[in-house]
Amino acid sequence: MFSSLGNPRQAAAQLMNFGLILSTAFMMWKGLSVITDSPSPIVVVLSGSMEPAFQRGDLLLLWNRNLMADTSVGEIVVYNVKGKDIPIVHRVVRKFGEGPHAKLLTKGDNNVADDTELYARGQDYLDRTDIIGSVVGYLPFVGYVTIMLSEHPWMKTAMLGIMGLVVVLQRE
Amino acid sequence: MATQEKITVYNLADLKNTSDDAIPNYLNSLKFTQSHRLTDVRLSLGYSAFVVAAACFLWDYKLGFESTKYFTAGAVAFYTLLNGFLTFWILYVEKGTVYEGTSPSGQEKIKISTKTKKNVPTYFVTVEVQNVNSKGKTTLKIERPFNEWFDAAGRFVAAPFQTVLASQVPVIGQLDVKRANPASAAPAQHETQPAYTPEMLDMLAKANVSVVGTTAEATETSGADAKKGGKRRKA
Repeated sequence: MFSSLGNPRQAAAQLMNFGLILSTAFMMWKGLSVITDSPSPIVVVLSGSMEPAFQRGDLLLLWNRNLMADTSVGEIVVYNVKGKDIPIVHRVVRKFGEGPHAKLLTKGDNNVADDTELYARGQDYLDRTDIIGSVVGYLPFVGYVTIMLSEHPWMKTAMLGIMGLVVVLQRE
Repeated sequence: MATQEKITVYNLADLKNTSDDAIPNYLNSLKFTQSHRLTDVRLSLGYSAFVVAAACFLWDYKLGFESTKYFTAGAVAFYTLLNGFLTFWILYVEKGTVYEGTSPSGQEKIKISTKTKKNVPTYFVTVEVQNVNSKGKTTLKIERPFNEWFDAAGRFVAAPFQTVLASQVPVIGQLDVKRANPASAAPAQHETQPAYTPEMLDMLAKANVSVVGTTAEATETSGADAKKGGKRRKA
């Protein structure tokens, strides 16, 4: 493939194909994000606080639009604690008020206490806008790869190395 | 003579791509003026789409999702439009065109498109020639097996490939008279035998005839070529 990069147009075309693959994948992710109105429409369950419903490593699909009804007690929601980047998947157990600034209290099914300890200092309830979506579907176990990659960063390097090797060797 | 890469003769995509690459080399060496209109449109569509995606990535990364989500929605829609148009362009406008150009005299426009059928080692070429003055368009279809210009090892041999084009397409034949009249014209003979063995290629290499599909070398063949042409066919 590389030997036929004699003329610049062909090189540009090859580069464009590669770039379009990346950008199409990215745009599909962003498209899903816009449709669900969630900054991260697919999350991985990181802890066992929602067992037996969700296990560590499950992949969750989120929906963040309240078209038919408000987010209500009993729904499983995902939120980020203010200032931290970790998504927490818990169930809504109390609700006060309505609309985009309703106050919600959450608790993990497998936890003893509710989430008041987890919220930021001085925060007793979640605002509806803190929530990045309610769970509408899930794929068991698929997300475990992501967990392994983030907990063992050397695996990322190993994976990239292997992929690079495969690409280089294929040229021969 | 020159180191030449071998391709896998069973890989239809390789056969087609190598042959497709040889056509512009050959025609440009005959001083055809290539028109890059199709490629340029395709490149501009593709790169614009990529730029839209890159911009979307940047503002999302810098400003976060919530504040930019309407722009992101717009970007996704625009990207889908551009990509859709690009796909349409490739499928329906380009339609397998590998060369578009004008003859050196400026009188004829030529457009060559190629295709292959799955698991059939035949090169299907459609040549459209249009005279700039008249309205008529002549369409020629050429079907030849790939082994006419690939040897058993997978090397591309320019001479028979050029002969096929020159003998079948009058516009090209006028410009490349050497190739327009091959010693043997029947294609049926070549179906089962590969055209070149390594010994023949060594012989050709020694006679300073290039077997690489490059522009300059392929056209400056010596007088010995005509005799070699005879020998090739008999062996």
